[in-house]
Amino acid sequence: MLMAVKNQIRVCALSVKYNIMREMLNKVTFLTNILFMMLNNATFIIQWIILLRLKDNVGGYTMREIMLLWGLAASSFGLSHILFARVFSLPDLIVSGKLDAYLVQPKNVLLGVMTSGTDTSAIGDFLYGLLIMCIFCFSVKRFFLFLLFTVTGAAIVTAFALLMGSLSFWLIRAEMFGTHMVGSMTSFSTYPDGIFKGVVRFVLYSVIPVGMSIYLPVHIMMDFDRARLFVVLGYTLLLTAAAVTVFYRGLRRYSSSSLMGARM
Amino acid sequence: MKVIEAEELSKNFKVKQKEKGMKGSIKAILHPQTEEIKAVDGISFGVEKGEVLAFIGPNGAGKSTTIKMLTGILYPDGGRIEVLGIDPVKKRKQLAYQIGTVFGQKEQLWTHLTPYDNFRFFGAIYDLSGGEIERRIAELAEIFELADFINTPVRNLSLGQRIRCEIVASLIHKPKVLFLDEPTIGLDVVVKENIRGLIKQMNRELNTTIFLTSHDVGDIEKLCKRIVIVNSGQIVMDDSMEHLKYHYLNKKIVEVKLQEEAVLPERKGITILKRKGGHIKLEVDTSVMKINDALRSIDAEYVEDINISNIPLEDIIMEIYRSKERTESL
Amino acid sequence: MRKYAVIYRSVLMENLQYAANIAMGFISFLIIIFVFISLWDYMYASPDDLIAGYTKEQMIWYVMITEMIWFGARSATITRQAAADIRGGNIAYLVNKPYRYPLYVLAKYTGEWNIQLPMYAMATAVIGLTMVGRIPNFHVTTLLLAVPCVLAGVTIHGVLKLCISMFSFWIEDSNPFQWLYDKLILVVGTIFPIEIFPAALQPVIKLTPIYTVCYGPAKLIVDFSMEKYLEILLVQMVYLGAGCGILFLLYEKGGRKLYVNGG
Repeated sequence: MLMAVKNQIRVCALSVKYNIMREMLNKVTFLTNILFMMLNNATFIIQWIILLRLKDNVGGYTMREIMLLWGLAASSFGLSHILFARVFSLPDLIVSGKLDAYLVQPKNVLLGVMTSGTDTSAIGDFLYGLLIMCIFCFSVKRFFLFLLFTVTGAAIVTAFALLMGSLSFWLIRAEMFGTHMVGSMTSFSTYPDGIFKGVVRFVLYSVIPVGMSIYLPVHIMMDFDRARLFVVLGYTLLLTAAAVTVFYRGLRRYSSSSLMGARM
Repeated sequence: MKVIEAEELSKNFKVKQKEKGMKGSIKAILHPQTEEIKAVDGISFGVEKGEVLAFIGPNGAGKSTTIKMLTGILYPDGGRIEVLGIDPVKKRKQLAYQIGTVFGQKEQLWTHLTPYDNFRFFGAIYDLSGGEIERRIAELAEIFELADFINTPVRNLSLGQRIRCEIVASLIHKPKVLFLDEPTIGLDVVVKENIRGLIKQMNRELNTTIFLTSHDVGDIEKLCKRIVIVNSGQIVMDDSMEHLKYHYLNKKIVEVKLQEEAVLPERKGITILKRKGGHIKLEVDTSVMKINDALRSIDAEYVEDINISNIPLEDIIMEIYRSKERTESL
Repeated sequence: MRKYAVIYRSVLMENLQYAANIAMGFISFLIIIFVFISLWDYMYASPDDLIAGYTKEQMIWYVMITEMIWFGARSATITRQAAADIRGGNIAYLVNKPYRYPLYVLAKYTGEWNIQLPMYAMATAVIGLTMVGRIPNFHVTTLLLAVPCVLAGVTIHGVLKLCISMFSFWIEDSNPFQWLYDKLILVVGTIFPIEIFPAALQPVIKLTPIYTVCYGPAKLIVDFSMEKYLEILLVQMVYLGAGCGILFLLYEKGGRKLYVNGG
């Protein structure tokens, strides 16, 4: 059992390494992509300088918290796209029958699929997050919490994308819907939760998991609370387990499917 | 010992139907119409250890669907499969350790890496240790003559070199059965010949059982001792290559070019197919008349050129498809 | 001119079939609008506040209209497709056809936004009226007067983006320039009206395409004045004329380069 886990990790690590090697074939493009993404994220600072000129806080956030929010959103989104980029194109893989290649390998299908690609600009996101965090609100404890929440955040984004992508096992037309839902996470995660009220607040802590991936961790980093930390960890595990279960349900349908004319 | 056993295997697909034009598009959204197609319709066969079996048929005959069911990618709707005593539906992963697959139309290699790095990756997938992988690569590189390009990125290789690497990658874990789905598709004649030679050698030296699908008759003629022909999801013929040849290759085509218009005696067993001046094309039924008797009947003095050949296997298979369809329509 | 009408019509027909996909695109649009409504709701402590001379309703409508233009004018035809045509040598075939490539692309683009923009406009109207409320001092006549400004804004946007795609004749990748332009419009142009920026910056921003592409049309809808109307229309005409001039200049120069190098 332990051996199997070790072997699985070895294959995943090799996958990620090879992906990055592929992206680095053209070094200039590789570096420009990363730098451009960092610059891209940095332009939003203008928006917040302007908004904070109008009012000293937005939704209870001053510049420091806004930057922490942005940093965590960028890092966790980045980490997810570096390691598991393919999960975001899962609908396409399902519809065009490209999961076949992973089904003949004696390894975990899900991990094999997810780690089979990467997104260079995500490296820029990841680094930008870390950088912003260090510039605006560094403390040793916060740094380690930030790393932890980057991991849980990445897990939540990935699990959500997996859940939405898996819809395509049942509904081919779900592709667009899923993509927009995943995209909505990014929109919400770059604004303070204090501006949302009522039902929306509830939605952000349930249907669209921004609350648990970004908002609550930001609060914990500003004002440490052990109980809330466990809530985040518990939620991450739960959502991941749910997404994996749904994926394997779908995979069974993929294998026994009869509506796959294109796959003959 | 049977390595692959399939009994009454079947798989149906639903195919969406759409009427023409805008109206049809709207109708298709509101009331999707599907038609069921029997991609594989109750086929049974077995493959012995060390055997090379060709599974052939026209496009859409159910070849790929069958191979996907045997490897656990698709679940059958009915019937039973055992590969190496394992049910692919229940124990896909366990089976995966013991089989290799090459899908000619789909690449599994990382194109930006060298074959060597690729083999190391596939070695890791099959839990081989570093030392084992090295030994195995060295062994296979020799059989498949990869030395010249083992350190060249795959994207810079020719198609033939690439397919050789694909095959090696699927052999890295010493599979007991190798599934080859259209391995020579898109290759030129020389490369095809080379690949066939290697597959044959691999079968001989490593005693790997090979299950091959193709619609290239050459693959089958050169490689296989046994041939299964499928059409419309059913087995049309399951026979040994020798038997097939004996039954269908008992006719020889003789083309002669004579100096002047010589008269050929009409004899039983010889049919004149075409005649144009000195050029004559004959068919000799060797079950009625020996080929040397037939040749003797031609006056050797006038012969400028002579060519004797078998009926191409392609024509024979076409003939089998056709006769099957004929019996069905009766 | 008739052939461009035919191109336009066939793209329109084709896109009608993708109406469902466009409707799905609403999800992203709605979410962004929703975020901005929440944001400005928070920024205005009391409903009677004025920020940079805008009431809360005006501010939110302003943002919704600029976002509507942004989403309504989204098109791969004038950016990725055009750049790929030029770089991939596809244009060598198109050059030979009896039409001018820039006009061909613009006709396609128009066919696209003619479907998208009205759909987003409807969505904007519905959300605005249900969630934000009426714009103060709003008249239907001023809306009708502003429509040409919106259409001109979207067209100018297309012309400018196509100009940037023309850079592909000379450079490997025109995307960084598209990106710069997009960032300018999106970060500086759509989120707030120009008046919100420090007084020293305002004249500079007025010189950028922001003024004609998004600020102008949105400002006229939320706060109409005849004086502004004429000024914006005039600037738009100048932009359109100059933009088209530059577009054809780039195309002629680039096309000649293509001819010399044999594609």
